[in-house]
Amino acid sequence: MPDEKVILVTGVSGFWGSQVASKLLSDLSFDKEHPIHVIGLDIEPPSPPIEGLDFIQADVRNPYLNELLHREQVDTVCHLAFKECVKHTEANFDLNVMGTMKLLGACAEADVRKVVLKSSMTVYGAYPSNPAFITEEQEIQGVRKYGANRHLLEIESFCNGFRRQQPDLILTILRYPNIIGLRCDTAMTRFLRQPTAPVLMGFDPRMQIIHEKDVINSLAHAVLVDKPGVYNIAAEEVMTLRRITGLSAKITFPIFHPLAYGSQDIINNLVVEGLTSFPIELDFLRYECVGDLEKMRTKFDYQPSYTAIEALREFAGEQRLRRYITGEPLLEYDQERLKDTLDRRQRERELADQSEVKDE
Amino acid sequence: MVEEQKSTDDEKAIDPQLDHKDTSLELSQADETSQEKSGLSASSEFASEQVIDEQEVKRRELITELDALVERVQDVTGYYAPPFSRDRLIYLIRNSFDQYSPSAGTSLIRKISHTIHEDILNIETWKGVWYVINYIVDSQLGFIKRRMRGEYETDEWGFDPGFVQAVTPFIEFMYDTYFRVETTGIENIPEEGRAMLVSNHSGVLPWDSVMIAAAVYKEHPSQRLVRNLFATWFVSLPFFANLFIKLGQILANEDNGIRLLEQEQLIAVYPEGTKGVGKLFKDRYRLARFGRGGFVRMALKTGAMMIPVSVVGAEEIYISIAKSQFIADLIKFPFFPISLRWPLLGPLAFIPFPTKWYIDFGEPIHTDHYDGNSENNLALVSELSDQVRNIIQEMLLERLSKRKSIFFG
Repeated sequence: MPDEKVILVTGVSGFWGSQVASKLLSDLSFDKEHPIHVIGLDIEPPSPPIEGLDFIQADVRNPYLNELLHREQVDTVCHLAFKECVKHTEANFDLNVMGTMKLLGACAEADVRKVVLKSSMTVYGAYPSNPAFITEEQEIQGVRKYGANRHLLEIESFCNGFRRQQPDLILTILRYPNIIGLRCDTAMTRFLRQPTAPVLMGFDPRMQIIHEKDVINSLAHAVLVDKPGVYNIAAEEVMTLRRITGLSAKITFPIFHPLAYGSQDIINNLVVEGLTSFPIELDFLRYECVGDLEKMRTKFDYQPSYTAIEALREFAGEQRLRRYITGEPLLEYDQERLKDTLDRRQRERELADQSEVKDE
Repeated sequence: MVEEQKSTDDEKAIDPQLDHKDTSLELSQADETSQEKSGLSASSEFASEQVIDEQEVKRRELITELDALVERVQDVTGYYAPPFSRDRLIYLIRNSFDQYSPSAGTSLIRKISHTIHEDILNIETWKGVWYVINYIVDSQLGFIKRRMRGEYETDEWGFDPGFVQAVTPFIEFMYDTYFRVETTGIENIPEEGRAMLVSNHSGVLPWDSVMIAAAVYKEHPSQRLVRNLFATWFVSLPFFANLFIKLGQILANEDNGIRLLEQEQLIAVYPEGTKGVGKLFKDRYRLARFGRGGFVRMALKTGAMMIPVSVVGAEEIYISIAKSQFIADLIKFPFFPISLRWPLLGPLAFIPFPTKWYIDFGEPIHTDHYDGNSENNLALVSELSDQVRNIIQEMLLERLSKRKSIFFG
């Protein structure tokens, strides 16, 4: 069908890819005026399979990719094939950075209209001279120690040049702070799932939080609505690290910072795979890296539904029950969660009412 | 329309209580006057009986009122004291008594012994004491519990009111008793709206910014929070950055300053920076170079008024004789002072000398009449910067000419 909007989601077997693809399919399958067709791309099929998804088994580095984009008349690409890794290895670098570069090149050749990328606020880097609220215009100068952060930095600096070369292509980059949620696996959830949370003695930086559902919803929002540019996306509250550990009922373990930096260097130099003591890069436990949300509110026009406290409470509730029950977390017993859910639904209804009034 | 109706309903709901209060007050006043009259004509027995009856009625009224008050307090605080027990009360009193210094303890005992009356033999008095002490212990425990669980509020800049409340007694002691700060011109600070305090900076540790914040909090009618802008260097030090941010201080940065002023806050800048703090004793009260005029640009961009502030007394709290650039480079500090006591006495050298302080707030310099793009006018920026510097220097010299003694003013 010619008037069908074709959306390509890469990395569709991963957590973010599968969630965004099902979100797009569930939201728009009933909309007859704007029909969409979602193509999923990954090296292995998603399990469990996603209903209504047109799956194509291929790698993003495939040289035939531009032919695929051209022949399927892809309108929008949501690039989520990114491997989270603490250590920098050549294989991961090839997938993350070279994969993105090749995909962007293919998009430019096949006249794709829009590309959406998921990035992180770590690209700003944690420095003592950072302003209290970093705007999107600030130069990216992140720390090049941890694999994923380094790869994102490479991708973003490549995108800066790419945007100048291809002014007609709508390139949307969403930068997220620490993502928290029951199913996702990020630096923050790994940090809070440890028996004790190691922190640096005498440092208590301000941090931002976002819930995984808001990440998925904002990515879907960026796919459906044309918003070119870079946006910081986070929940409204800014809270300190000790408050985050307190709210998620975690006992902190303070380490004198020169010792922590020294031990990190030693551990990173060991050849043992997967041995890392600090899931969050030490600089981010020491200095602040908080994004300015003005552009999210005004230009991107998206309001995260979970507040930071709600996201943390939900996580803490799951952690409490995880101690006694193995397997699927049983959250139906968590009273705080139900209360927060009701509050959130009320807020969403009010927001919807307000926007309706505005439209009228 | 519906909302309006609701509000009127609410008013009606509140009104009866108010009416009741007023009438009860009038009644009690009427009782007093009648009592006086009856006191004058105390000869007749009938009148005295009436007085006793009236007193009894008043007592009962008081008891019912107090009961209502207790109920209302319990509704508001949600706090119920555990049942009364004598042994536990004595234990609690003894425990909280140990917290006082011996002199305060003896004065407390004296006060209590002066007020011995039949009240002290009344069990109801002790029940009241029991209630109060239990409440204090409970609230203290609750405070610690809330801190541990992260159930406290900080604003988006990291300002932590609970923490400030906890350190206020110490800062008030330093302000009132230790430095005996005297302030003038506090009325130059506006009640609300954006404003920028520009001050000289001295002393090795930034006691002057703490005292300026305390002065505004204590003396100013609207008790404004001063946001001091501190140097980048502190951020990399453990405990210091954490402490400053909790107290509501902000990293010195043009973006931060402009954002604060646009939020109609009161900020304080120290254009001398580390050059001022690391001044040697022989250079005291001579202002160092004023940065690159970043503070003037912030004021011009936001149209905020600049209020010059002079602090006298802070230069003598630590007497630094020399500076060692070698040690400073080694430990990555901007300067390493060698004073009369530091580093010979170690941590003891952190205790400042108890000098007498004067903080003077000068006439505000308005910047809102300059046109839009004036913050890029380099000539104007440097001119304003020099003007502010001269004013502060003059204010310092004026105060110094009046000061007879460093320690007694």
